[in-house]
Amino acid sequence: MRAEGPIPVSLFFTCLADAFSPGVCSATVEVLERFGATVNVPLSQTCCGQPAFNSGNRKEARAMARKFLLSFPDDGYIVTPSGSCATMVKHGYPALFRDEPRTLARARAVGERIHELSGFLVDVLGVTDPKSDFSGKVTYHDSCHLRRGLGVAEQPRKLLRAIPGVEFVEMEESDRCCGFGGVFSIKYPQISCRMTERKVERILATGASYVTAGDLGCLLNIGGLMSRIGYPVKTIHLAEILAGKTAATSVAG
Amino acid sequence: MELTANAFGRNARKALLDKTLQEALGRTTGRFLAHRDAAAAAFPEFEATRERASRIKRDVLDHLDTYLARFIEEAEKRGTIVHVARDAGQAREIAARIARDEGVTLAVKSKSMAAEEVSLNEALEGAGVTVVESDLGEFIIQLAGEAPSHIIAPAVHKTREQVSRLFERHLGEPRTDSIPELVGMARRHLRAKFLSAGMGVSGGNFLVADTGSVVLVTNEGNGRMGTALPRVHLAVVGIEKVIPRMADLPTFLRLLPRSASGQTISSYVSIVTGTRRAGDPEGPERMHILLLDCGRSAILEGKYREILKCIRCAACLNTCPVYQSVGGHAYGWVYSGPIGAVLTPLLVGLPEAAALPDASTLCGACADVCPVKIPLPDFLLELRSDARDQGLKTPGEIAAMKGYAGVMKRAGLLEAIERIGGVLGQFFTKGKGIGGLPYPFSGWTERRDFPAPAAQPFRKLWKIRRGVTR
Repeated sequence: MRAEGPIPVSLFFTCLADAFSPGVCSATVEVLERFGATVNVPLSQTCCGQPAFNSGNRKEARAMARKFLLSFPDDGYIVTPSGSCATMVKHGYPALFRDEPRTLARARAVGERIHELSGFLVDVLGVTDPKSDFSGKVTYHDSCHLRRGLGVAEQPRKLLRAIPGVEFVEMEESDRCCGFGGVFSIKYPQISCRMTERKVERILATGASYVTAGDLGCLLNIGGLMSRIGYPVKTIHLAEILAGKTAATSVAG
Repeated sequence: MELTANAFGRNARKALLDKTLQEALGRTTGRFLAHRDAAAAAFPEFEATRERASRIKRDVLDHLDTYLARFIEEAEKRGTIVHVARDAGQAREIAARIARDEGVTLAVKSKSMAAEEVSLNEALEGAGVTVVESDLGEFIIQLAGEAPSHIIAPAVHKTREQVSRLFERHLGEPRTDSIPELVGMARRHLRAKFLSAGMGVSGGNFLVADTGSVVLVTNEGNGRMGTALPRVHLAVVGIEKVIPRMADLPTFLRLLPRSASGQTISSYVSIVTGTRRAGDPEGPERMHILLLDCGRSAILEGKYREILKCIRCAACLNTCPVYQSVGGHAYGWVYSGPIGAVLTPLLVGLPEAAALPDASTLCGACADVCPVKIPLPDFLLELRSDARDQGLKTPGEIAAMKGYAGVMKRAGLLEAIERIGGVLGQFFTKGKGIGGLPYPFSGWTERRDFPAPAAQPFRKLWKIRRGVTR
């Protein structure tokens, strides 16, 4: 475990969770506080600009990124319950500001300080037991940006396995894209759905009652398809499992 | 080859409804991928070899002029005639002229994406040459009148039943379900062609600068027969395929088959160095190499130059969930999958293929498997940005992005919108998901529900917890 004393953490709650799953944000705060963090929530934050960046609209993405950089204080950790938003700040911002040395330096510094929740708990705080009373059979979906963008794959599994009430079961192709891809799912919804169907098949095959992930976007997508079809599996964000919630955020819930 | 890259969406919808294609895709790409992963895991030096290959290729791109000049000098020393084509039209002219000058009427061709790129068959046929594809997959799709749908498995979209029907119709063979029998039919038919063809046409996986050699990596004997038996050999190769030294070849030979199909080494590796010498038992009397620029020099000058490192292994296709869903034809040109989504716009112009860079979820699986470490997702993002700069985005998308950024620049405005959304959402959906969103989001909700906005966004909940009053 980390040294004694309060750990200053600024929460980047993400616009998606803010609007659609505020429970995910509250759960993140709860877990961070449980392990000694003093959580500060900058209320001027909005969106990191990922949808604009990923669709090639860099002018708009830069405007949002500048706002993001101004919204967070100059020191301490920044933690977010989203692999893709953290990846955007860490890897997207340097690309956005490659021609602006001063902003680039600031972006890189902020990128050094930003962590996704499960990676932060395991790698920074050294948490081995999340102290969660969640119970149920759970499978885990590796969101692409969390796994490939941040290299966080073992950390959430370690945490899940350490919860006494959780029966953790791996799905096949857990690291295969669920088909969301932000703007991709709007531009090519049929292909996106085909990919989501394949993901859902793999989830159902595990017999799990819950599917969890470190990215709300994937969960909304997977949950959206399961809700339409009426499948019994609930989508739940990893933060909520760690916090010990039993109510799922899912649209299928 | 006809270019329909901008019809990607329409092509893809058609592909999604094609049951045969869907089965074939699941079977083949999955197998290739599993074999590739196993081969990479079983080869402890895989990562180090990738790194070395990437470095060699970067050096090649930094000194392409020098290496090409060396290659041409060495090849000519060994009796090879080297031609350089600036564009596809010139490539076709040169190929047609070679065929006429050599008095060729029948050519056997082994698989070459570069030849597809310039529509070489049409050019040769225009010069009075019958071209017979000799790679089994290419032979099948030639009979079917189609284009390849995969770099290394061009007929991946065909079933054995479809192949049998094609052989019955075009070769007069009896129907069979047996793959060995089908292969035997093709072999018998092709052997006669190999023995009577005046010219063998091939591609080339590598050009070796210090020996002037063309290297062919194949799994069928056709490449070897086509380069050894006919009087004339014509190799069509992109200029970026040059490697500095013969000593570099093993690095690439370790990576290419492993990445492509999971093989430790392919069945055949032919190193063709010049024409037949006195005392040689076989080999062409005349050898031509047609080097294709066709936009490559221009790519070399710009920010996408690393795309020219590609060794055409198709690992990125096999691992791409979009390719796996729609197959190669949806991409509407020679190259498909992630490499096609980047390379096609660069070779044919972004306005002609702006739909392709959007055909990815940016999941990054392609970059994980690329043996020469091409940053494909970064390039896709960069091309999307170029599309905006070149005025290729719809006014609707630009307006939406401006509006969205306008809101996100002000937390207060976002909060107000969330409050309205929360009320409307609860009112219309009674806490359940939204079953139908308006255009342009309607496609999203065709088969999926979208969550209703929360009645109280987190920002509000936090303010309440902190006792902050508005």
